[in-house]
Amino acid sequence: MSRIRRIGAMTLIVAAAWLAAGQAQAGPARPGPQDVVRGWYKMVLELVRHTPTYSPPVASRSFAYIGVTAYEAAAGGTGLQSLAGQLNGLTALPQREAGGAYDEAVVVNAAIAATVQGLFANTGPTGQRALAAMARKTGGDVTLGLADDVVARSQARGNAIAAHILEWSKDDGGQAVENMGFPMEFKLTPGPAHWVPTSLVAQQQTPLLPDWGSNRTFAMPDGAACGLPPPPSYSEEPNSAFYNEAVDVFDAVNGLTAEQREIARFWSDDPMLSPTPPGHWLSIALEVLEREEADAELTVDTMARLGVALADAFIGCWDAKFKYDLVRPITYIRRLIDPKWDAILITPPFPEYPSGHSTQSGAAAAVLAGIFGENFAFEDSTHVRDGLPPRKFASFWAAAEEAGISRLYGGIHFRSAIDLGLEQGKCVGAYASALRTRN
Amino acid sequence: MRTRYLVFGLAALICSVGNVGATENAPPVPVFTEETATSGVDSVYAGDWQYMVGGGAASFDCNDDAFPDLLLAGGEAPANFYRNASTRGGPLRFEAETSGLELAGMTGAYPLDIDSDGNVDLVLLRVGENVVMRGLGGCRFERANEEWAFDGGDAWSTAFSATWEKGAEWPTLAVGNYIDREQEMSPWGSCTDNWLHRPLATERRFQPPLALKPSYCPLSILFTDWNRSGTPSLRVSNDREYYEGGQEQMWKIEPGKMPVLYTEEEGWKYLRIWGMGIASYDLDADGYPEYFLTSMADNKLQSLAAAPAGGPAKPSYADIAFARGVTAHRPYMGDDLRPSTGWHTQFEDVNNDGLTDLFIAKGNVDSMPDFALKDPNNLLLQSADGKFVEVGDKAGVASVAVARGAAMADFNLDGLVDLVVVNRREKAQIWRNTSENAGGWIEVRLQQTGANRDAVGAWIEVRCDETGVMRREITVGGGHAGGQHGAWHLGLGDATKVEIRVLWPDGTAGDWQAVAPNELYLVERDQPARKLLAEQ
Repeated sequence: MSRIRRIGAMTLIVAAAWLAAGQAQAGPARPGPQDVVRGWYKMVLELVRHTPTYSPPVASRSFAYIGVTAYEAAAGGTGLQSLAGQLNGLTALPQREAGGAYDEAVVVNAAIAATVQGLFANTGPTGQRALAAMARKTGGDVTLGLADDVVARSQARGNAIAAHILEWSKDDGGQAVENMGFPMEFKLTPGPAHWVPTSLVAQQQTPLLPDWGSNRTFAMPDGAACGLPPPPSYSEEPNSAFYNEAVDVFDAVNGLTAEQREIARFWSDDPMLSPTPPGHWLSIALEVLEREEADAELTVDTMARLGVALADAFIGCWDAKFKYDLVRPITYIRRLIDPKWDAILITPPFPEYPSGHSTQSGAAAAVLAGIFGENFAFEDSTHVRDGLPPRKFASFWAAAEEAGISRLYGGIHFRSAIDLGLEQGKCVGAYASALRTRN
Repeated sequence: MRTRYLVFGLAALICSVGNVGATENAPPVPVFTEETATSGVDSVYAGDWQYMVGGGAASFDCNDDAFPDLLLAGGEAPANFYRNASTRGGPLRFEAETSGLELAGMTGAYPLDIDSDGNVDLVLLRVGENVVMRGLGGCRFERANEEWAFDGGDAWSTAFSATWEKGAEWPTLAVGNYIDREQEMSPWGSCTDNWLHRPLATERRFQPPLALKPSYCPLSILFTDWNRSGTPSLRVSNDREYYEGGQEQMWKIEPGKMPVLYTEEEGWKYLRIWGMGIASYDLDADGYPEYFLTSMADNKLQSLAAAPAGGPAKPSYADIAFARGVTAHRPYMGDDLRPSTGWHTQFEDVNNDGLTDLFIAKGNVDSMPDFALKDPNNLLLQSADGKFVEVGDKAGVASVAVARGAAMADFNLDGLVDLVVVNRREKAQIWRNTSENAGGWIEVRLQQTGANRDAVGAWIEVRCDETGVMRREITVGGGHAGGQHGAWHLGLGDATKVEIRVLWPDGTAGDWQAVAPNELYLVERDQPARKLLAEQ
C-alpha cells in the first residue's frame, strides 16, 4: 500500500473523528487546516524571496521548522504521531487541555503565524506589513462563527507549539546569520584545486555559510551521515578525468540548445529573485497537494517531510562542500581552456562539489516519490509569474535530474557534482521518508 | 532681468590631474563643515510605509540671484521650500518661505524649465497625484496640471527624468512608479506602470501619458545619451524587491516612435539589483558616460563593455565597481558592519582636483536588522589611477542618520560644491564645503533661445592646458527622487589655461573659447561666454 493510499485511509478516519469530537461547525467561507497551511506557505515563499538573509541553506532551515510546526499543530487533532523524539533535539510538545474543544484550523493558523513571525523577524517593512495583514485576514477567516473559548484555547495551543519549535530552533547552529551569510574573514585553502572567489561583488569574496555543514540536522544523524566519495582527482592534464569534466561544461555551455538554456533558467532559482531551490520544491509540493485536493494530514505530512529533507540536504551538502573545497568550472576553464569563457548562470559564491541543487533535489524527489509514487507525473508552475512557462515532468526523479543537469548547462557545476549530489540527496531523503507519522 | 544671473559651472574630470593639495599622490581630502543648526534648514522626511522610499532634494535658482534655492520633500508632511539667503563665500543661510510648492505626500521633486520662459518649473512626485508647478519668478509657483494637460495620475511615484525629443517645443517627461500601495498582503509583483508624458505635436501641452510596459518598480530613471547618438535613451533602475520577471531596463525613445526596450540580442545584459539611484559621468574620458547604480550591499559602476572604435556602441556594460573601489557595500567606520543601503548618488568634484568624486546617501530602509542601522554616507574621492578612496569620515559628511535624497551644489557660490541630505524621520543636514586645499574650478550655466532654454541634453567640454578633454552631460533625472537645475560645476586642478565648448542638444558644436579659472560663466548659444558674477 503506497503511503498516499495509507494516508488517504487515515484521513477518512481522522475526519470522522474531528466531526465526532463536536468541533464548531465551519461556515462555507471558513478555511480548513490544509487551506491555512497552503496559504501560509505561499506567504513564506514570498518572504524567502524578499528577505535578503534567506540564501538557500537558510531558507531550507525555515522550511523545516515551519513544516514541523504545521505538522505538530495538526497532529494533536488527528491520528498523526508526533515527531518529538524522532527529530534531533525535538522534545515532547505541550499537551492539549484535557476535555477542551479545539478548532484545528485555528490551532494550525496560530502556530504557523507565530513560527513564521519568529523566523522572519528580520524581513523588511513590506514583509512585516504583509505578515500582519495575513495574520489579520487568516485569523479572522478561521475564527468566523466559533465560540470565543474555543478560539482562545486553540490559539493558545498554536502559540505554545510555535514557542516550543522556536525554542528548539535556537541552538541548531543556523539561527544567527550575519552579513547575509558571508563571513568577514575566511582563509582560502591554498592550491589550484580549491575554491577562490568568482564574483565581482565585494561581499562575496568569502564563501557563503562555511560552517553550515556542522549545524544540527533534523532527521539524519549529522551532516556527514550521507557523505560522498571525493570528486575526480584535480588535474590540469588534458584528457585527465578532471580536465574532461571541465571540457564537458565548456562544450555544453558553448553549444546550448534553446531548451537547455530554458532548463538552466528554469532551475536557476536565484536567491532574492525566486523562492530559492528548496522553495522551488515546496512550490512543486503545494501545486501537487492542491491538485490532489489533499486533506490536512497529507498536507502537513508532506510539507514536514519535505522541509526536513531539504534542510538536511543543505547541511549534508555544505559538509561535503567545505570538506572537498573544490574549484568552480569558471575558474578552471578561464585558467586552462579559455580566459574569456563565461557561464550563463551566475556562479554561486561557495565551493563546487557537490551541487547543492542536485543534493536537495534528490532529497526532495526521494520524499515526494515516497508519498505520491515513483511515476507521479506533474506540472511545475513555480515561475509563471516571473514569465517562465510551466514544465511537465513524468516523475519527481525526472524533475530532480533535470534540476541537476541544469547546473551543467548553466556552467556552474561539473558532472560529478551533479550525479553524486543526486545520490547524496537520495540518502538524505531516506531519513525524512523513514520518519514515523502514524502508529 | 536675466543678466543678473550668475552662472557657474560644471564638474571636472580629467582636466589637470596635478595633485592640488594632495599628499603622496592621495587626492586632497575636502573639508565639509556641518551648518545644519545655523542654516535655517529643518526639514524632516516623515511618514511610514509609503514613505520608506523617496525623500528627494531639489536645488534650483528661482529668483535669478544664482544662489541655488531648495525644495525638500516632506513625505506625509508638507514639503519645505527654502530661499537661499547665503552670501558669496559665507555661511549657508536659508529662509523658509511659502512658494506654492509646499504640498504634502511628496516623495521627490525635479526642477526644469518646461515652458522655456526662463523661470524654473518643478515636477513634484507624490504618493497620489503628481503635480507640475509653473515658476512665476521670484520663487513663486502655481499648479499647471490643467493648463499643460498634465495627468498627474494616482500612483506611488518615485522616479523622474525629462528630455526634449528632437524638434520638440515641449519636453517629454518620464515618471517612474512603484508598487500598488493598495496591495497590503501581496505587494510583490504589483509594480504599476511607468508613464511617458510626451508633448502634443502642435500645442505646448502634454498628451495623455503612455504606459511603459513592462514596468518594474524603478527608484531612479535617467534620459541619457549613452551611445552619443544624439538621441537619449531612458535608463531605468528597478527595485528587485518588488518585481517579478524584471531586470534593469533601457528604453529607446525615438521621436515619433513607440518606446522599445533594448534587448539581450542587442547586447543588453541581464542585471537585477535593488536599484535605488543613478549617477552618470564620463569618468574615463572616452566620450561615453559611466553609470553608478545604488543598491543594497554592493553598488554597481557600469562602463561600456567595449567602447566602439567606429561603429555604434552596444548596450553592454561591465561592472567595474570592485576594480574602482566603489562597491561601498558596508559601513567603513564604526562597529556596525552589516551591509549598507544606498540611495541618492551624485558625481561632483568636491576637491576641485579635476577628478570627479562620488557621494552616496546611506540609510536603512526601516530598521531592517540584516542591514546596517548606523550606515554612514559615502564620499569617495577619485584618484589619478581611476580608483576611489573613501573619505566620508575624514571630510565630515559621515552622518549615520537615515538618509534618502540629497543635492550637491555650490550653495554659497565660492566654487566649492556643498551638500544637503534629506533624512527619514530626522532633520535634513547641510554641509558647507570649507576646503582650503582645493584646486581651481569653473561653473557654467547654459542658455539657448526657444525651446529647451537650459539645453538639457547638451554636453559641456572643458580642455585644460591643452591636454585631455573632460565632459559632462546635462541631464534632468537620476539621483534618488531629486535633481538639480542651474549652473554646473567642474574642478580644474591647477590648470591655468582653460577652454570650454558646448555640444548643444541638436548636435551643433560650439566654438572652443578660453575662460578664466575660478569664475562663473553663462554660455549662451552662439555668444561668447560671459562672467556672471562680475556683472553683479
